Amino acid sequence: MNFDRRKFLGHTARAALGASIYSAFGSLQLVRAAAQANYSFSDYKALVCVFLYGGNDAFNMIVPTDATRYAQYKAVRPTIALAQNALLALNAPGSGAGSPGDGGNYGFHSAMPELQALFNQANSPVGVVANVGTLVRPVTKAQYQGGSVALPPQLFSHADQQAYWQSSPPSNAPSTGWGGRICDLLASANTSSLPMLNSLAGEDAFIRGNTGNNYIMNPDSAATIDAPDSWDDNANNLQAAFDALRASGTQANTLERTYAAQMNHSINTAAQINSAINATGMPAFESFFPNISGGDLDRQLCTVAKLIWAANNNIAGYTGQKRQVFFVSTGGFDTHDNELSVQSGLFALLSKSLAGFYKALNSAGLASTATAFTASDFGRTLSCNEDGTDHGWASHHLVVGGAVKGGKFYGDNLAGSGTAAMPSLALSAGNPNDAGYGQIIPTTSVDQYSATLASWFGLGASDLALLFPNLANFNVGNLGFV
Amino acid sequence: MRRARRVLCKVVCCALLPGLAFGGATVAGNASPPRLPISPRPRPSSPPLPVAPSAPEASRFLAQATFGPTDADISHLQAVGYQVWLGEQFNAAPTRRMDYRNWVENTLHEEFTTDDMLEAWWLGALGGPDPADPSVIRRDQLRQRVAFALSEIFVVSTRTTLIDQFPNGQAYYYDVLVNDAFANYRQLLEDVTLSPAMGVYLNMLSNQRADSTKNIHPDENYAREVNQLFSVGLVLLNQDGTAQLVNGQPVPTYTQDTVKAFAHVFTGWNWSDCVPANHNDFSDCAVDWSTGANMQQPMAAFAAYHDNGTRAPDDLSNKQLLSYAGAANGGLLVDGGTPQNDLKFALDNIFNHPNVGPFIGRQLIQRLVTSNPSPAYVRRIAAVFNNNGLGVRGDLKSVVAAILLDDEARNGAGKYPDTFGKLREPLLRLSHIWRAMGAQHRCGNDTVRQSGSSSYTQHYANRPYRYAGWYSVWGTNYLFNQQPLYASSVFNFFRPGFIPPGEMTTKQLYGPEFQITTDSQIAEVTNDVLPRAMWLDIHDTCDSTDDYGDVAIDHQRDLALAGSGQGGPADPADRLVDAYNIRFMGGQMSAYMRTTLINYLNRIDHYWDNNGTQDWRIARIQRALYLIFTSPEYAIQK
Repeated sequence: MNFDRRKFLGHTARAALGASIYSAFGSLQLVRAAAQANYSFSDYKALVCVFLYGGNDAFNMIVPTDATRYAQYKAVRPTIALAQNALLALNAPGSGAGSPGDGGNYGFHSAMPELQALFNQANSPVGVVANVGTLVRPVTKAQYQGGSVALPPQLFSHADQQAYWQSSPPSNAPSTGWGGRICDLLASANTSSLPMLNSLAGEDAFIRGNTGNNYIMNPDSAATIDAPDSWDDNANNLQAAFDALRASGTQANTLERTYAAQMNHSINTAAQINSAINATGMPAFESFFPNISGGDLDRQLCTVAKLIWAANNNIAGYTGQKRQVFFVSTGGFDTHDNELSVQSGLFALLSKSLAGFYKALNSAGLASTATAFTASDFGRTLSCNEDGTDHGWASHHLVVGGAVKGGKFYGDNLAGSGTAAMPSLALSAGNPNDAGYGQIIPTTSVDQYSATLASWFGLGASDLALLFPNLANFNVGNLGFV
Repeated sequence: MRRARRVLCKVVCCALLPGLAFGGATVAGNASPPRLPISPRPRPSSPPLPVAPSAPEASRFLAQATFGPTDADISHLQAVGYQVWLGEQFNAAPTRRMDYRNWVENTLHEEFTTDDMLEAWWLGALGGPDPADPSVIRRDQLRQRVAFALSEIFVVSTRTTLIDQFPNGQAYYYDVLVNDAFANYRQLLEDVTLSPAMGVYLNMLSNQRADSTKNIHPDENYAREVNQLFSVGLVLLNQDGTAQLVNGQPVPTYTQDTVKAFAHVFTGWNWSDCVPANHNDFSDCAVDWSTGANMQQPMAAFAAYHDNGTRAPDDLSNKQLLSYAGAANGGLLVDGGTPQNDLKFALDNIFNHPNVGPFIGRQLIQRLVTSNPSPAYVRRIAAVFNNNGLGVRGDLKSVVAAILLDDEARNGAGKYPDTFGKLREPLLRLSHIWRAMGAQHRCGNDTVRQSGSSSYTQHYANRPYRYAGWYSVWGTNYLFNQQPLYASSVFNFFRPGFIPPGEMTTKQLYGPEFQITTDSQIAEVTNDVLPRAMWLDIHDTCDSTDDYGDVAIDHQRDLALAGSGQGGPADPADRLVDAYNIRFMGGQMSAYMRTTLINYLNRIDHYWDNNGTQDWRIARIQRALYLIFTSPEYAIQK
């Protein structure tokens, strides 16, 4: 299996020599590195990307509670400011490493009591990563406005910024994402034949690798193709004809072959995944997800917990799965209007889902094996329109898991010293973090955030540099939150 | 040389034939006359088209131009030829959603819901008798196919609650696409822009000038997407659709400042019956909750809320819109305009950008013909967009005709056998089997329903042309992840630049529809064929408890094709397979697939009579349909 995969990768590397797309961004080296990589792990880890589609307005998720900053916040967002006394205080260090970095105090949105409790508990599994966004290299307001520093393409555009977050290195039409590329590099770590990467939220750049080492499934099961012989009165002959038409190598057109390959991938993988989800002894993780009947994210994360459990309990097909990457998502974060009421619902679901995921794994002794992290198109403008906010840039993010060094704020700052720096909430003109129109300039790059996670996941330094070629533009490559 | 001139004459002459007005679309309404850098007339590159296409050729054409070939349409197209067929289509009466809505509400006295909107969509897609008056035959297949393509470019989604709650607004919006499918792109752009559904979806409705006392600024959503998705795209294009490169890098079409300027222009529009003085804020004007009447009227302008650059300090003075060679006033919008005039300037500014032809033309090619058109094909279509031969820019009728008549559309499968074609969308697969197999609505009851304190009757009994039912029409999103006007975002079900992993990544081939072809969806699409092909038949006995009924096909129409004797190898399935090859696969079935099908189907003989309850030939028909519609070869329209 591994031998074949490596041979395939070697073939891809040769084929790529002629394709200009690979020469950009070092992808050719990446393909070669994947062909040569030889990772093996004795421990098990799972990385869970929780993508919040639409661009989460974290400036209403994590809000200052001290008088000075709250007044600024209230002034900058008059139509959508949260009430001060409703905020859920976070007991982060007041100064130094692990503090918000600006001497202020902060609280979660009132809909997030579950995550607040986890953030404030001893050995906290919840961390905040402050002011994260897409960057090629550090940029100040003057540099941004002067146009003197390279920037990611098409800031403020949903599709492009989703692609940048998920693909890093940048491209408007990324052929691969960093989740998929990690799986290319780590392929040798798993001796199981099942794909390393599972999306429970459809196709997107994050899951794309050069080898298609991924599987897209429904939130609570893998869809199977009904066997035609179960209703055919002449048993297996119809199945045989169906199989003959999908057999690889029988189609004369690339699109037909791609469709056949996708169909075969679907059939071969679904059965193993479904039997694992329903394996004997599977804990009743559903009880940790109160919204599981209607909440997409609850259903997805409950299934993720089950597949993690399967990999840790020698379930058929999962023996030898030492690394798994999951992609889950929820949407509705594009709060151009009616933001207050929309966010209350979104944050309540998010808080219960992420906390439920941690507690579910903790109940099975697996909490420290998985790290979940949020990602989103972009942050939103600090300024508002009449009852919402527009596409912005930087945002705050959450990391959740037993391996997370929680109860603290993480990130980078303009000086590049690798500690969190919550941005100023002053009005645009006097705000050093404001790009000019309410969009907040990131001080922490997506590459730093992602590389910290990838490093925990086991990627070596040279592979990190290949995965995130712009990482070298920042002083600190590891933010230390996990 | 001489031959080339004759061909040129042929193209232009065709455009001028009476009743074939695909050169004649005018710029209607208050759109400006086209401001053109007049480019040379489109240069034809194709050999003359056959006057009488063969049956396989006709089938391939109809797969691109309709919701699926039928034997009758294939014969008709063979008889009249492409040009006459196009003329018929351009002149066919449009099937409008609002007419269906009026029938449901005024004749049936039912509430018009999003489900009814889907029924109306299927009426347009399937064509044939109109349920309101079966003597009226709906024949506007090309218009409906193009409108569906436009609905995947100018995306509005019923996933937005307010749009879902007002299906009359959906109907109005879809009718804009139907009405303008053969109109001028400039008209389409304006009608889309001012439609309340789009106003709600991308927040131009109730968008207002900046107010620093509230720290609010104009919403940028529509400003961004109208440029990025509906017109010019992110990077400057060559006329063949490839990106212009400077130092090896693409060049952005516009900047964030451009988006901001457009956002300031797109202010001051609201519900047509909004009376701002009656509200605290411009955004407090509301949909008419009782009737939804303002959902089917274009948005109206309110100058007091429009940023025309004159109210300091909040207005944006001297708005710089798209800047390009030939742009009116360099794309600079002078201060002091009305909402209407400023909108006109902005839409003209977008419309005349040289990117529009290749950007929109390429996507229409992808929706109708092939995922990977050659640059030369895109260039030919962009040239027609730029000038239809009569000096008109943006004539969609000519663009659609050029896309379908192009040599690459007609002969691409032979020239590029490895890469030509597109993955059939799930909705188009379903419309194909239904159209080609004589589908009708069957069963269902007339049921009294309570609505608050009053009651009404839902009419589903004996409605063969009212395409309804959970398994048929209302549930396609659950069945296979696609439903009209139900994209997950403004980026449609799939994006034009999606490249699937594997061989297509290696070859850098686009496959937009593969984006929704996930492991789970491909299973669902495949499973969906099973009952369609095997079980649901219009002759089946009804379940009396099924109030809504379902759509089913007519297997019996092909009995004569399926065999004439006792079946088995002595009465082989060749005729059936060969007929289905033409009907469903444009005659492009491989010899391997044909042999596989015939060898299997030949096993079926008169012993398969299901204890005397069924003609054995039905079994052949069912299984042939199942195998074809689940096969990778059929999945790609070529």
